[in-house]
Amino acid sequence: MLQEEGQLVIRALRGALRALVEHDVELADEVIAFDDEVDGRYFAIEEGIQSLLARQTPVAVDLRLGLAVLHVNLHLERMADYCVTIAKLVKLAPETADPRLIEGFEEMGQRAEEMTRVALDSFADRDLERAESLVDLDELIDRANRRVVHHVLELGTTPELREWGLRMLLASRCLERIGDHAVDVGERTAFLVTGEFREFTDASH
Amino acid sequence: MTETDATRAGEVTVEVPRHPSANDHESHEVVFDVDGLTVSYGASRALENVSLTIGAKQITAFIGPSGCGKSTFIRCFNRMNDLIPTARVEGSVLYRGEDLYAEDVDPVEVRKLVGMVFQKPNPFPKSIYDNVAFGPRVLGMKDKLDDRVEHALRQAALWDEVKDRLTASALSLSGGQQQRLCIARCLAVEPEVILMDEPASALDPIATSRIEDLMHELKRAYTILVVTHNMQQAARVADRTAFFSVTQGAEGQRTGILVEYDETNKIFTQPSDKRTEDYVTGRFG
Repeated sequence: MLQEEGQLVIRALRGALRALVEHDVELADEVIAFDDEVDGRYFAIEEGIQSLLARQTPVAVDLRLGLAVLHVNLHLERMADYCVTIAKLVKLAPETADPRLIEGFEEMGQRAEEMTRVALDSFADRDLERAESLVDLDELIDRANRRVVHHVLELGTTPELREWGLRMLLASRCLERIGDHAVDVGERTAFLVTGEFREFTDASH
Repeated sequence: MTETDATRAGEVTVEVPRHPSANDHESHEVVFDVDGLTVSYGASRALENVSLTIGAKQITAFIGPSGCGKSTFIRCFNRMNDLIPTARVEGSVLYRGEDLYAEDVDPVEVRKLVGMVFQKPNPFPKSIYDNVAFGPRVLGMKDKLDDRVEHALRQAALWDEVKDRLTASALSLSGGQQQRLCIARCLAVEPEVILMDEPASALDPIATSRIEDLMHELKRAYTILVVTHNMQQAARVADRTAFFSVTQGAEGQRTGILVEYDETNKIFTQPSDKRTEDYVTGRFG
């Protein structure tokens, strides 16, 4: 079920990105409505884990799996929520577009999708090395985010461009946060495999 | 038989053991209908005013502290309390609509349809074969006895372990095997219901786990009622759980009452009654 939820997140992400890049307000509305699907899976998984813990009192690896699923579930739900935020920003932003920024977003969107896939696959396969690779992928999204910030600051002085720039800054931040959540999923894979909880990178990064 | 963790390609399935018949009380026929049941031993009231229905092909567990009347209660379903001279049963227990305690009801016939397995395995001092064949022989079910014995032993998940030594004494079996033999003995007379009074409390964890797995298998065909002082066991095996507690009268008399009866999932995640919650969380007493 978790993998199903993951696939829904990827769909939401693609929808949100396209809506952003093409300024497609109708698609944005669809993305917003689609979040109910993710929420439905989220609640079902949460209930399932609750029931499992109450009735089976799992221990050791079974318990770690239950806890890991709970956390990954939450991260996926948050990622989907960020897609909704992006869609809402598309609706609020005026139609103006800067091609360099659009390119930047396309790149960030691809990275975010890639990270989501890597996170889901490494969890399913209990692949510690692959989970750890998410840190490097995240660095790439962070750099892309910084480039977006830089471009926004260089935008023209018309109020329209400035407003657009602001919205796009927030959208960029959403994508960067999606990347962070993917890393968090990777950390849960590490927890599952090693029994140790540790952050992949130090928070001061 | 715990969570199913399918770690193959990309799938993590989290599931509590679930058979098609589980957790949908409305779709189960009612096997027993208990109304206002009160049981006394002489002047002492063991159980007061219990009313509930038991659904077919499910496992229903009775849990509660010592002295809450759960063993007394389960014995009402096969009239074992008749064997206690001072026992008095008031109220009604209907088995498929028929009054179990009516004048013209033969208690022996009841005990064929409603079998029982006890806490301490009690095989007869006979061969494994003769233990299982005993019931059918007494009841005149003598045709294809070998088949009956084999079928019962297979259903009790014991056949493979004893098929080459059916003439060996039942007392040579381990505790867990003896208990499964008692279950086979019960099944040999084709009951509809199986009562289990603390069926695994005398067994080690592995034997216990096998009995629990067996219960899951058996409920596809039989209605099972189980008394257990082990809450986690009820949580693992039962579809529905009834929680009994003890009330104290003005003169200190202790009487058992039914506090809450619901789907097991609900009892262990969100019980409606605080007394239930206190018991399952271990705050009780």
